[in-house]
Parts: sequence; structure tokens; C-alpha cells
Amino acid sequence: MARRTLIIGAGVTGLFTAKQLLEKGFSDILVVDKDYPGSGGSFRCATGIRASFTSREHVKIMLRAIELWPKVSAELGVKYSRDGYLWLLTRESDVEYFSEVVKFQNSLGVPTRVLTPEEAGALVPGLNVSLVKAAVYDPLAGKASCFDSVVNTLRHLLSRGVRVEWGVEARRIRRSRSSFAVETSRGELEAEIVLVAAGCGSRRLLETIGVELPIRNLPKHALVTEAFKPVFKPLVIDWATSSYIVQLFNGNFYIGADIPEEYDVKPAHKLEFLRKATGVWTRLLPWLGEVYVLRYWTGYYDMTPDHHPVLGPVEGFEGLYVAAGFSGHGFMMAPAVAEALAEYISGGKPGLPEFERLRPERFARGELIKEIAVFG
Amino acid sequence: MVDPRKVIVCRCEDVTLYDVEKAIDEGLTDIELLKRKLRIGMGPCQGAGCLLVVASILARKKGVRVTDIKIPVSRPPIAPVQLKFFAGSRRGG
Repeated sequence: MARRTLIIGAGVTGLFTAKQLLEKGFSDILVVDKDYPGSGGSFRCATGIRASFTSREHVKIMLRAIELWPKVSAELGVKYSRDGYLWLLTRESDVEYFSEVVKFQNSLGVPTRVLTPEEAGALVPGLNVSLVKAAVYDPLAGKASCFDSVVNTLRHLLSRGVRVEWGVEARRIRRSRSSFAVETSRGELEAEIVLVAAGCGSRRLLETIGVELPIRNLPKHALVTEAFKPVFKPLVIDWATSSYIVQLFNGNFYIGADIPEEYDVKPAHKLEFLRKATGVWTRLLPWLGEVYVLRYWTGYYDMTPDHHPVLGPVEGFEGLYVAAGFSGHGFMMAPAVAEALAEYISGGKPGLPEFERLRPERFARGELIKEIAVFG
Repeated sequence: MVDPRKVIVCRCEDVTLYDVEKAIDEGLTDIELLKRKLRIGMGPCQGAGCLLVVASILARKKGVRVTDIKIPVSRPPIAPVQLKFFAGSRRGG
């Protein structure tokens, strides 16, 4: 197919979708990014992958993604491992809440289960189990390398004739004879099909063609420590403080923690984050106090009102698609999202009916999705 | 002629001149992508030892001036700091 396809955003979503389109026979694909590939959420994220959510849509889509991640891993050489997720519950009220969550997840085929503090301690050496009332374990969850995901997909695409150009900022989209004209920092690009997968920049770009999306950017903070040999496998969440820690494939510990933030402001480094992240995790894992912090950086969650992405064809604009507002879960669902987008763009419908619930028009229709847990 | 496999460019992550040139030849013509492929700049020295060397290799391979290569952002802290120092900096963490 020679239909000129322009993908705006060279993160995992855009690059994985380009690969899917290539496999469907699309030959004229251009991917652009305002900075470098992966420069948005893709390279900043915690890389966790799980289906243990509290909405049917998230559960079903993540289960599909978890079916696809081993294929991504084998085809592109992306490190991926089902190392699990572990929620630490330190308050009785959370234990009650999570017993309901586990029932819901089990009913949809997600194998979460409640653990005793001692069972949690067996998974995480050195855990201060005296602080833990109970834990929830998801053995199907895991993690993948975000660096491999972007870099290896990029090389795959470049070697097969897909053009990926970075340092090209899309500024305005308008209708034109061939469907769309996109004004960029390097001149105008014409395309019949445009996919906006530009993370926190998607809302402003779509506004230029008259499409309003309720995406707001919430600053987030993360740090990594020096690298060690494998200490523990699961991504561990402290539910009460909205904080998490995961040992990455390279051995570094990655820590995220929520601090009060305002929407749509430029992220800044804050000592408050370092205090909270290190305070929470040196209480739960006292041995971490001796470990060195190497780097601290910020990024955004591109949040929607119901914390689910805006995904699919844009009503009233034949050929225009959006994949944004992932609210912190874009990396983990990217293989399933790319599959669904390629089905839409090639004229079909996604195999999973849950994707249809994520279409942009749900906000105008008041058909929002309910989701309780938002974690890396 | 020096064997590029024996020239260490990044001591923290044990990356050689051969690794850097090979990655550039494979299309990773941006220092940000070399960073994610090779981990240059991500070890304890945070790139103090390697980033300018990698920038000069990249500039030579691309035929541009080294000043045209944009160096990745430096992240805090400037030097590695143990978690306990931040954790103890205010009551209640």
C-alpha cells in the first residue's frame, strides 16, 4: 500500500505501530519526533508490565499485551521477564480493599493472590516485614527493557526502509488535498494517514485541527541507584505512599514516588521527591540506605479523566488517528495498542472489543471508564 | 594501529571504541541512542569520563564538528549520594 502514513511521535507506541503497519504491507511510512526517539515517556518509564488492574478494559488489553511481549522480545531482542508485581499493604483498610480487587482480577483470568508478610519477605530479601500487614502478588506481571524496545525497533524499521526522522517538531495539522498537511519545524509534510502518538504533546497538536482532548500532563519523578547483581525480581509497590521500586535488568534499582504536583507545569527537580522516595524505601528495605543514588529525572504522565488512553480514529477526520493519554501505562500496553492501531488504520476493527471503549468520542458522550489504580 | 576492541571509551560500563563505532555504523547516529544502546553516561561517573570522547567519535564518523553534537542532559546528583542522606534530611521522609 502506497498510502502515505505519517506517525507523529517516535516512542514505543509510534515505533511498534510502524512495525505493525509495515507487516500489513504499508510501504510509505514516515515517523517523526520533536526530540530523539524514546525521548518522552518511553525512556523515562519504570518498564513494568501487568494486567492486574481494576477495569475490564485495562485487564483485557494488558492480557493481550502480555501475550505479545514474548514475541516482541524474540523478534527484536528486547529483554523481557515475567518477574511479577508485589503490592505491600501496610493498613488494614487496604487489605480489605485488595481482597475485592483480587476477586475481580481472578474473575478475568489474572492470577493475583494475597500473600502473608512472610511470603512477601521471601520474595524480597531484607524486607522489613514488621511494617507489612499483607501483600498482593501478581506472578504474570513483569518488565521489559525500554531501551531495547525503542533502539531495536528503530534499527529494525530503518533497515526495512521506514523513515524515522528526529528533531522534527510537528506544530500544526490541517486538512489538505491529500488528506492532511502537517506543518513542522522542517517544512510541511503531506499524508493520507496521520497517527498522533506524541504523548504529552498530543493535545496541543490536535487542538490545531479543532480536536479537543481532555489530556493533562502530570509531572512525575524517578531515580536510579548504582547497579547490583539480582537482589529481587518483582516490581514492589508500597500502596499507602504510592511509591515503587524495581531492579532493572542492568541491576540498578529504579524508584518512583508520588509527591504533590500540579497539572500542566514544567517538571522541576525537588528535594521533596528525594526525601520521600528514599524515606519510604529505606524504611521498608533498610539495606538500601547504604546504596548510592546515581540519577534523578522527571517526566510526565499524560492523564485523561478516567486514566485510560485516548485511542483510535478521530471522529469526523477520515485518516486521523490518536494514541495518547496513557496515564502512566503506555509502555506496558504498547504491543497490544500497536496491533489495534494497525487494524484500525488498515480499515478493520481491533480483535479486542475493549479497544472500542477507548475511542476519543467517549468523553463527549460521557462514557468514561472507571479505574482505581495508577502505577508505573 | 591500535585494536579498537582494546580501547576503552567508557570505564564504568566497559564500552570499547569498537562498540561505539559499530553502533554508529548500525544507524545509531545520535548520542542519546548510543547512550541507551551502550549505557555510556549511565554509570557512576555519569558520563564525566566518556561523553566528550563519544561525542568526538560521533562527530568524526558523521563529518560534523564536535560542537554540533548535543551532549545528554546531566542529572542530579552531581556525584553519587547514599539514600540514607536524603532519607534522613527531614523527619517523616
